[in-house]
Amino acid sequence: MKVLVVDDFSTMRRIVKNLLRDLGFTNIQEADDGSTALPMLQGGDFDFVVTDWNMPGMQGIDLLKAIRADASLAHIPVLLITAEAKKEQIVMAAQAGVNGYIVKPFTAATLKTKLDKIFERLG
Amino acid sequence: MSFEADEEILQDFLVEAGEILESLSEELVELENDVDNADLLNSIFRGFHTVKGGAGFLSLTELVDVCHGAENIFDLLRNGQRSVTPELMDTILSALDTVNDMFVLVQNREPLVAADADLLAELHRLSTPEGEEEVSAAPVADTPVVSPVSESSGNDSQDSAVDEMSEDEFEKLLDELHGSGSVQAVSSGTSSHTEETSAQVSQDSSSDEITDDEFESLLDELHGQGAFSAESSDSSSSAVASSSDEINDDEFESLLDELHGKGNAPKIVESSKQDVAKVDIPPAVKPAKKPTPKPSPVSSTAPKAAKKPKQESAKKAPQQASSQGETTVRVDTKRLDQIMNMVGELVLVRNRLTSLGLTSDDEDLTKAVSNLDAVTTDLQGAVMQTRMQPIKKVFGRFPRVVRDLARSLKKDIKLVLEGEDTDLDKNLVEALADPLVHLVRNSVDHGVEEPDIRESLGKPREGTVVLSASQEGDHILLTIKDDGAGMNAEKLKEIAIERGVLDHDAAARMSDKEAFSLIFAPGFSTKTEISEVSGRGVGMDVVKTKITQLNGTVNIDSELGVGTVLEIKVPLTLAILPTLMVVVGEQTFALPLAAVNEIFHLDLSNTNSVDGQLTIIVREKAIPLFYLDQWLVRNFVDKSREKGHVVIVQLGNQQVAFVVDRLIGQEEVVIKPLDRLLHGTPGMAGATITSDGGIALILDIPNMLKFYAKKSPVNKKLRS
Repeated sequence: MKVLVVDDFSTMRRIVKNLLRDLGFTNIQEADDGSTALPMLQGGDFDFVVTDWNMPGMQGIDLLKAIRADASLAHIPVLLITAEAKKEQIVMAAQAGVNGYIVKPFTAATLKTKLDKIFERLG
Repeated sequence: MSFEADEEILQDFLVEAGEILESLSEELVELENDVDNADLLNSIFRGFHTVKGGAGFLSLTELVDVCHGAENIFDLLRNGQRSVTPELMDTILSALDTVNDMFVLVQNREPLVAADADLLAELHRLSTPEGEEEVSAAPVADTPVVSPVSESSGNDSQDSAVDEMSEDEFEKLLDELHGSGSVQAVSSGTSSHTEETSAQVSQDSSSDEITDDEFESLLDELHGQGAFSAESSDSSSSAVASSSDEINDDEFESLLDELHGKGNAPKIVESSKQDVAKVDIPPAVKPAKKPTPKPSPVSSTAPKAAKKPKQESAKKAPQQASSQGETTVRVDTKRLDQIMNMVGELVLVRNRLTSLGLTSDDEDLTKAVSNLDAVTTDLQGAVMQTRMQPIKKVFGRFPRVVRDLARSLKKDIKLVLEGEDTDLDKNLVEALADPLVHLVRNSVDHGVEEPDIRESLGKPREGTVVLSASQEGDHILLTIKDDGAGMNAEKLKEIAIERGVLDHDAAARMSDKEAFSLIFAPGFSTKTEISEVSGRGVGMDVVKTKITQLNGTVNIDSELGVGTVLEIKVPLTLAILPTLMVVVGEQTFALPLAAVNEIFHLDLSNTNSVDGQLTIIVREKAIPLFYLDQWLVRNFVDKSREKGHVVIVQLGNQQVAFVVDRLIGQEEVVIKPLDRLLHGTPGMAGATITSDGGIALILDIPNMLKFYAKKSPVNKKLRS
């Protein structure tokens, strides 16, 4: 499964990458914000997107909306990383079509639960 | 939080977050002059946010706490719920200092110390909207009464005032948004309804809480009365009863259920669960369409539409994937040092080949050697380039330094930075940081006058300190200029005499410019009382020593009442040293070329003795003269000489002449440290391999004079 990790903070990308690798995901690419992620998604056959919410340039939520608005990408599940689980924000993200959210900091186990839930929903 | 603090990740974090902290300090000072700059506020917010995020993963809780406080404040600032005040800035800046201190602790592998409780309290106080500080976040616990959504939901209801939306709640939310199970045809009105209701949620409830009733009505609105409640009675997910404005997993799950149908991923709103189930494709290809924002897709074509591009892109992917890589690589500076060292060796070999080529008649060899010469020069330049960093890295800290200092001294000072993009060697950038800070502090403290005094002198109240950098050939010129009081040469001389650094005769002969350099004398301070700012810690003499170590020079000029200019010249790199090769006795020595002023052939009988010191007159200026062989040749026997090669070197404002036996020429050398046995030999900076394959000692001129010319008045003067 090809995963795109989007975060402006490269340390964070590395952390998320390591965690994903622990869970058996090996094909992982990185982007540093929404506006660089989108062309990558359009160009590559990504199966999953893990994105931070707060980024300069294009925010995670806008990336999510852009993904859902693009017919060729709309099917890609998106996991949103946030700093806090503000209800207002999560509702907004859910309405924009997010598949799951995860609150920083998290462990590989938490990430796994979140991913399992998403794939469960996908069938 | 049980993330294993991977050493490499920690290192990465320190580097990257360190950069963020550096720019934060710049941005904060900038903010003070531009309080309403939304971009700046956003960027600062994000800075703290990012550092907090990283620190969270590394279990640096103490760091997280401080960043969190600062982040909250900037969240309010950027939303206009607070405004920037000097006091707020002080708090934020001290928070940043605390963060920086913690950083050092992390770097040194020391346990973190929790931030000052007062600071945290202050951060907390400031992170409530203006005017509401007193009314703190107390009333949040406003009794969340649990009234189950359905009969079956007694199981794991959330009745605590949890801060987060539960998994079940999220599931429910998803169900809600996308139609749960058999609930079909979520109308296009759904989204607006949902938005309305969620907006209502945040408005109605005083503390952003979502109550069961509200949530139920949200569900009703989305799916029609009863329809959803029938669904939800099947559901095992818990009731939504969290009482804060945060979402927990359960809430999110139910939200998703609502949005996409129970247990489904986001998909086309109109298509029912059963429809999708028939399309038997792998999970990732499951047709999914944007859910609520614009819920008007054509249901029958959508799955295909979603599927086709997917296949197309799958074909295209391999070629494209390869072209998307990072364009930068982080390299350990040790490796760069190694490469630099090897290039240095190559330069030596090149030198050797060049000198062989000169004596050879073989035209082909000469050609090849000159080719090698050119390539090596390019390579040397390119490698040097990799180690270059903009001086911005050092300059970046000055706005803060000047700001703090000016505030504590109650002065009004504007700092102007010029040539921040000037590149120089990384080692130099680091080595220059401390001396520069000291000099700038000095300008602010001793140079610029108090606003009232300035006004009475007819100057603008605000003083200006200009810090500039520029490249001049193979040197970097750094200038610190202030429009302050300037220095009084006579006063400086008086003090120097008082302190025994100078005698009256020497003082009388001293030019103003030389007198200004007295401030670099050890133990010299123009202020009689020690000021808190620049009167302690490293003295100006340490600054000078440091710059001299970098093969640099300091030049000072001042005009009373107008201001002072300090010029620092340093070579572009430390690794390769241009030298003048000379022979003394039978041995080759290298003099750093930067110090060499001129070379000439001199009639040695034409010397005078002044104060017991041999001097020569060059262009009507008396210059002390030394025979290098008296110092550097073993078993030296004095011989009479009529003519000799004289090399004049410049040390600060002082010129010194050396007599050498022979001049070889200019050569770029790589400094090799002396062996342990020879280490610390006075006057020797190191050794190098010469172009003829021999070994030459590199002279450290100031040290050599200090050691050999102890009794000479020159030495006294030099030390001053």
